[in-house]
Amino acid sequence: MTESAPAYELPVELAIDTDVARRVIGEFIRRQLGQAGFERALLGLSGGIDSALVAYLTAEAIGAERLLCVSMPYRTSSDASRSDAAEVVGRLGCPLETVDISPMVDGYFSDADGASPIRRGNLMARMRMAVLYDRSVTWGGLVVGTGNKTESLIGYTTLFGDSACAFNPIGDLYKSQVRQLAAAIGVPDGIIRKAPSADLWPGQTDEAEAGFLYPVLDRILFWRIDKRRSIDEVVALGFERTLIERVDRMVAAAEFKRQVPPIAKLGPRTAGVDYLYPRRRPGSARR
Amino acid sequence: MQALRIALAQIAPRLGALDDNLERHRALIGEARAAGAGLVVFPELGLTGYQLQDLAAEVAMRLDDPRLAALAADTEGLSAIVSFVEEAADHRLFIAAALLEDGAVRHVHRKLFLPTYGLFDERRFFAAGDVLRATPSRLGVGLGIAVCEDFWHLGVPALLALDGAQVLVNVSSSPGRDLAATNEVGLGTATSWRTLMRTYAQLTTSFVVFCNRVGVDESISFWGGSEVIAPTGAAAFSAPLYDEGLFSVDVSLADVRRERIALPLLRDERLELQARELGRIVAERAGLAPDSTAADGAGPGLDVAPGDAPGRPIGFGSAGRS
Repeated sequence: MTESAPAYELPVELAIDTDVARRVIGEFIRRQLGQAGFERALLGLSGGIDSALVAYLTAEAIGAERLLCVSMPYRTSSDASRSDAAEVVGRLGCPLETVDISPMVDGYFSDADGASPIRRGNLMARMRMAVLYDRSVTWGGLVVGTGNKTESLIGYTTLFGDSACAFNPIGDLYKSQVRQLAAAIGVPDGIIRKAPSADLWPGQTDEAEAGFLYPVLDRILFWRIDKRRSIDEVVALGFERTLIERVDRMVAAAEFKRQVPPIAKLGPRTAGVDYLYPRRRPGSARR
Repeated sequence: MQALRIALAQIAPRLGALDDNLERHRALIGEARAAGAGLVVFPELGLTGYQLQDLAAEVAMRLDDPRLAALAADTEGLSAIVSFVEEAADHRLFIAAALLEDGAVRHVHRKLFLPTYGLFDERRFFAAGDVLRATPSRLGVGLGIAVCEDFWHLGVPALLALDGAQVLVNVSSSPGRDLAATNEVGLGTATSWRTLMRTYAQLTTSFVVFCNRVGVDESISFWGGSEVIAPTGAAAFSAPLYDEGLFSVDVSLADVRRERIALPLLRDERLELQARELGRIVAERAGLAPDSTAADGAGPGLDVAPGDAPGRPIGFGSAGRS
């Protein structure tokens, strides 16, 4: 027997029971669809680990034939992303549709050099959202979210872009836990090992752009948020104070991205304030 | 006479769909009867679903509701515990668990403790019950009925057992959370509940019957794991996590007598001591008496009584701390 290097680093306090997670998530996906009156789902498959994991989980929950994966490359997207997406689809046996978003994005930014990478990246994310929601009509399925807890907390996500979905099965899993679950469910090793990237420009990686490694970031978030530790207590665990404070600021600055926009309270009953109903209740499912 | 078959209906109610859930209850009562069960237990809000929010008022039933009477009519010759939103005559809404026996509503327990913290928001939508009573039943033993969070307060199982219950029944809609790999059975919530139920069974030398729902309301998943724990604290039956099903468990009620003879904890209980000390603590917390157990100069939060209670409490004469 040969031992290979582990495909990812899993901080011990973040390790989850992956059997229970698969059980809960599978039932969650089936019930979300069932309560809304749908049997099918679709998602944007980038070739990265998050969407690959959600594809595996959804296929496991409802069957691959009921899941449409949509690949939406831009002309600068890496070839590796496309081939990794193709590998996931090939292994799962679910249908794949490819929509090149280059004409949509380039048609809007007529002066290609004038727009910052941030603006371009945000538009790409929103074009992909628009395509997914259009395809949700033709496919007759709900859009499954693929964002993880780490990126949601630090705000590394585009409002009304990649975060838009009908429901999200992995939004309460840190990146390290996404890797653990991906390994358990059989996502190809190459996808688990490669550096996470938004793939908005050639060579971009999350960790280089943000300046920290996911296992470190995940641990800081876990102790600060889930375990309610003070900054001093997290420093005592061996983390740099400046890094903790920076993470805190990112989390606070992204609060608006995690919430429904406030409505000016004027009438007797206002959605989200004092008109509070479950999203799915008798009569709410499509016919 | 002492043999009892308990049927645990570990179901996934449909949120807000009272008629569908009523029908499902009636079907399962029929199934349990056919299987020879003497007691059928359904989960908290099994007739309505849990995450109701403003739907609570729309699915509420008065105790004289004909739909409840029709359900009770199905219990000829057996006992069933069902749970729903009860609307009182003064229009307060309660989370209720009712004992239905021989065609009638025999006893109603209104949930005493409404969690309003973390992922819970029950106090916003419901009123808390004020009464805790064990109830006799056709089974020949006292039943002590409680709802979910009621069992996170030590006094509840203790009082029910002291009041004559030999079978404690907790009906729950417990949302599963904390998947840390270090947890027993992979779920933090299950680990906590299993610890509580074994402890209560042993300390009250009673059977503990726990019926928890499965399924998904909005974001939350309910974990099932219904159990029957013997008076020794040993599990007589543990249902699988997350699986829907009607599970039958055979117990001998004679185990209660055996355990209480061997381990006479209830005999040795000191009710007057508890009542006396509780009376003192209540007075001290209310500022009607000085905190007799606080060390001088104790830091805030390190004693149970408020640190800044008035030195001469109103209506308490000249008593003050020296």
